[in-house]
Amino acid sequence: MNPAVEIQKPSLLKFWGSRVISAIAAIAFCAGIQSLGGPLADNEFLYRIIVLSGLYVTLAVSLNLINGITGQFSIGHAAFYQVGAYTAGYLTVRMFSTQQIGEVPWLILMCLVGAAAAAITGLIVGLPSLRLKGDYLAIVTLGFGEIIRIIAINIDEVGGAYGLSIVPKIQSPWLIWALAILCIAVCRNLLKTAHGLPFLAVREDEVASSAMGVSTTKIKVTAFVIGSSFAGAAGALLAHYEAFITPDMFKMEVSFIVLTMVVIGGTGSITGSTVAALALFLLPEWLRGLKEANGDALVVSAPQLLGATLAIIAYIALARRVRDHYHGKPIQKAGFQFGVAAASLVLFFLFKAVFAQIGGLAGHEGWEINSLRMAIFAAVLIVIMLLRPQGVFGHHEFSWAWLKSLFVKKKQEAS
Amino acid sequence: MANTAEQETQATLDESATPILELADATIKFGGLTAVDSVSFTLNKGDLFGLIGPNGAGKTTVFNIITGVYKPTSGDILFNGRNIAGLKPEKVAQLGICRTFQNIRLFGSLSVLENVVVGGFLRKKTGLFSALALLPPAVNETTELRKKAMDLLEVMDLADVAQSRAADLPYGKQRRLEIARAMATGPDLILLDEPAAGMNPQEKEALATTVRRIRDDFDKTVLLIEHDMRFVMNLCERIVVLDHGVEISAGTPDIVRNDPKVIEAYLGEESE
Repeated sequence: MNPAVEIQKPSLLKFWGSRVISAIAAIAFCAGIQSLGGPLADNEFLYRIIVLSGLYVTLAVSLNLINGITGQFSIGHAAFYQVGAYTAGYLTVRMFSTQQIGEVPWLILMCLVGAAAAAITGLIVGLPSLRLKGDYLAIVTLGFGEIIRIIAINIDEVGGAYGLSIVPKIQSPWLIWALAILCIAVCRNLLKTAHGLPFLAVREDEVASSAMGVSTTKIKVTAFVIGSSFAGAAGALLAHYEAFITPDMFKMEVSFIVLTMVVIGGTGSITGSTVAALALFLLPEWLRGLKEANGDALVVSAPQLLGATLAIIAYIALARRVRDHYHGKPIQKAGFQFGVAAASLVLFFLFKAVFAQIGGLAGHEGWEINSLRMAIFAAVLIVIMLLRPQGVFGHHEFSWAWLKSLFVKKKQEAS
Repeated sequence: MANTAEQETQATLDESATPILELADATIKFGGLTAVDSVSFTLNKGDLFGLIGPNGAGKTTVFNIITGVYKPTSGDILFNGRNIAGLKPEKVAQLGICRTFQNIRLFGSLSVLENVVVGGFLRKKTGLFSALALLPPAVNETTELRKKAMDLLEVMDLADVAQSRAADLPYGKQRRLEIARAMATGPDLILLDEPAAGMNPQEKEALATTVRRIRDDFDKTVLLIEHDMRFVMNLCERIVVLDHGVEISAGTPDIVRNDPKVIEAYLGEESE
């Protein structure tokens, strides 16, 4: 059993030391992102992807606060993103030229405005709808997301269905990533103090939480407002980065992809949301750019595709058996999983060879990877959900102590 | 209030008693069903009070109207002289009534320690902003809350499992953790809903000791629902018996035990 824990105040040096180091690391990271623009000047697409992935980190981590940590199933996150984008974009169009403010300070101001607008929207939507639970809340937030989009389509003042051009275009890569880091820091801080526990308690059991004196409505609305304000700020940055926004950029599928990031990463895990946001945003873009050695677009042949499909099915079946029925030491289990993966790879080549013998298939010209990328994306999601329904990180967070505990545990069990 | 007669009888039991909780004709109807019908009883400070009755008698419903889960259709519930009928559960908890649940309701994926910290959190002093910015007040308060929770776990003999997931605990320990969590809210009155359910005789013995300690060492008033007659009769000093939502008997264990109405309620099948 676990030994009784000694609870001590963190020493001042350690407390402030770690915070100063984190702050320096964050500044260095933002500066790094900003200065990447130089070396990547000839690869504008890659730089753009790296910068925009910061927005998705913000969206996923802020939705994780609502969905994962507080357990309120919201699927209208794009709406808050849109409210922030339109409010900030519209204000810039109307007011920037009349002000004597520099571009970056103005952008920061617009972030705050976008956040405030989204927070107020979150409050208005949250107060009545957060009485609902589970599926019902999901439907309300889904409907709300559509309402906001359709409102934007029908207001000519903000460009209607054509969209809104934002002048001037203010691109600030470091600010986009600073927002992502701020969002991560806020959520992490919340969970580091006792103030985070009522949020988790509401997720676990509302009746018991309120019996313990937790005002469940207040907690849920707080999570909703904080989460949506970050989405709003991200929207403001998107609007100024793209300099053009249309209602189509905030369709339901944006909400769904962000929700997918949260679920795949592990609901409740900030680390999971961050990693999944990066992975799922970058994966389709990476697939889009895949090339053969000679520079042609990568083509997947019919035998390859069929072979891969069968190999993946075999992999899922085998890996699930190992997961559910093998109860040995973790290292051995990991070894088995590795073996299963290797065997599936062998199966892939085997199936491919077999299918290549079938005349019609071998003669098929195949598909460019670009047209298959969303199918591959979907396949990855299915594999993860079948093998790890709790998400890649589960409820866990990355920390040095956690990393250490993994090894200590292994040693204990091995001896 | 209509229960002056009863208050007199209680005054004769204990001269120095100050009432902490009074139910006055508390009634709740769900559609055509009267689940609790004009129930009146008074708890004094430091009481160890039992609420018993056959299945479906309305015992848990009484807990639910005291703690604000349901609003009584009529009647008053006075806690330290203040009418709390219809207040929200969190408000009732903040005023100083806390409860455990018959079907255990722990925060399953949180650790044992965290469960207790949630209980203690309602006495927090720092604001949310302090936590979001990770400022020293919130950090220090977290340490304080964790220390207090740890002390409580030691009292409840759960210190060795402080870091375990609450859902992974064996049943008896989960029940104890529920009590620890309720104690952490710093209540004046603690309501235990079938705390001994599913426990073996040794565990029940230990639980009885713990409940007595809660009353004697921590100066709490205890109201408990229990099915195990021996447990209640040995532990509680006064008992109220409910049947079909109606109060059929009240008094010391001896009075209740020999009351023909109680015997009929429990062994009523023969006469039907």
